[in-house]
Amino acid sequence: MSEGADPRYVIDDRERGLFRVNREVFVSDEVLDLERRHLFDRAWLYVGHESEVPRPNDFHTRQVGGRTIIFTRDRQGTVRVLLNTCRHRGAEVCRERTGNRKIFTCFYHGWAYNNSGALVSVPDSDSYSSDFDRGKLGLAQPRVESYRGFVFTTFSQETQPLLDYLADATHILDQVADISDQGMRIVVGTHRYSMRANWKLLMENSVDGYHGLTVHQTYFEMMMNLGTTPPGLDGNRGIGRGVELGNGHAVAVMPELGSPIMSEEVLLERRQRRAELVAKFGEEHTIRIANMTRNMLLFPNSAVIDLNWGIQVRTMYPIAPGHTEIVGWQLMPVGISEQMERYRIDNALSFWGPAGLATPDDVEGLEQCQRGFASTNEVAWSDISRGMKKEKPTIVDELQMRAFWREWNKQITGTAYTFENAPLDTSYIASDTAARAGGA
Amino acid sequence: MTMVDEPLGTRVVTRAEIEDFLYNEAALLDEWRLEEWLDLFTLDCVYEIPSSDTRGLDGGLVYSLIHDRRPLLEQRVLRLKKPTAHAEYPHSRTRRLVTNVRLLSHDGDGIRATANFAVFRSRAGKDVMYVGCYEYLFVLDGDALRIKHRTAVIEHESLDPHGKISIII
Repeated sequence: MSEGADPRYVIDDRERGLFRVNREVFVSDEVLDLERRHLFDRAWLYVGHESEVPRPNDFHTRQVGGRTIIFTRDRQGTVRVLLNTCRHRGAEVCRERTGNRKIFTCFYHGWAYNNSGALVSVPDSDSYSSDFDRGKLGLAQPRVESYRGFVFTTFSQETQPLLDYLADATHILDQVADISDQGMRIVVGTHRYSMRANWKLLMENSVDGYHGLTVHQTYFEMMMNLGTTPPGLDGNRGIGRGVELGNGHAVAVMPELGSPIMSEEVLLERRQRRAELVAKFGEEHTIRIANMTRNMLLFPNSAVIDLNWGIQVRTMYPIAPGHTEIVGWQLMPVGISEQMERYRIDNALSFWGPAGLATPDDVEGLEQCQRGFASTNEVAWSDISRGMKKEKPTIVDELQMRAFWREWNKQITGTAYTFENAPLDTSYIASDTAARAGGA
Repeated sequence: MTMVDEPLGTRVVTRAEIEDFLYNEAALLDEWRLEEWLDLFTLDCVYEIPSSDTRGLDGGLVYSLIHDRRPLLEQRVLRLKKPTAHAEYPHSRTRRLVTNVRLLSHDGDGIRATANFAVFRSRAGKDVMYVGCYEYLFVLDGDALRIKHRTAVIEHESLDPHGKISIII
């Protein structure tokens, strides 16, 4: 165990290759309170994608880190996050889910704000004293920074800049975004659902290759019924790599799954697009971005899952220790044919979302875990040791989850985070020059 | 089963006939007779559930909840009958109320009808209700009605506490 380690929640025994998480972290209100203060009040949290507010004055209201926020592009074109609470008495100033608006008026007493956050109108303002300073009563605005179109916010002034925070996760976001030279866009439509299980179980599940064959057997059978044999299904379980990306971010990378539903036209377009990528980036980087899949965790509570035929962006947030709200979006390259768009949607919907052919079984599995945690007094520890002394952990090992837990333990108990595998194998990581050529 | 997409001609379809069809369909689903349910559809059918923010949009181009054409619908049914479809093993118990049936139009394209629904699902100590409206496009296959397009518009902003739509709605 590392020096100064607090083994109350996480046992990280490098020498024996054992890693355990105390199930208290999934059921305890006290732990959730610590998470709110140490994670959600401090970390960079995913808000949305710039493509969701394409025009000035576009907005969405969202829940981020437990707060209601307005995610908007103001009239000058600046992407902002405004806390959706009137400076007067607290009511939400915007009650619509989405729209295009220059002014947000609180219906309680009529205070009005523009979409840069400034308080622009207070009814009967003559009744206030001379010390009442309207200029200081704009909507509160947490810090906002973005990377490759992915917009994040933090409620803390102390947190490091986003680029430092994301660490090597930037390379994986590059690989996601490099697929299109015209940019990426979030498709209209939001999957909003919940599970009766702790939010961290879905973080683990989002990068867990080990559960694929057991939980998603029916999905793979569907693929085979429709004429595709996914790689790695013939007993070759140890494919791909699990990679620590720093600051709790991690990725499971593997060769593409294959595409169950593809027409000849889509196949041709895919080939042509691939050739364009090779011309721009070379073969090596093209393999990364077009022929590998990546399941990435962004600490603390979002995931980007790029399976080539679809890209799921997901956030999860605890309502209670055993109750999580989940939001899922679909990211798509700009400038592809309608046929290709339909093909991607077909594939994405067949797998993801609360009504897909795969996600409901994940939710079922995680809810079953949570039910099992009723015996936490008797069975206190979950095991996440798989592949711990391996030089090259694969996607069916659990390094990805350990990376999450080490950062979690660092934030909650102050235990230092050290990488498990040094030096980090960077063969799956894009080189800066190739990746940034696509535009940041 | 063959699909014949023909004009209705002099064949008269009444609301009572649609109601009988919908009640039978609900019974097939509640009894998990999913293969028989699948036989109610044409070969070029679509079964869809929009997301709460994709209503009225082309479900094949947006992030809907379900947009199944026949091949995927068959796979969905096939999957649900397996014990490895974990979300539905053991199977949910369901009971459907189908009501407010309206016959909207009746022309060369087929028969458009809507109905309200409440689907009660009970499983693993959790009871949930899905509520919404069905939008049907029927065509005639010989004398029989077949479903060409079936949209289940659910009224839930978020699938909380449902968590999933693993049954057929």
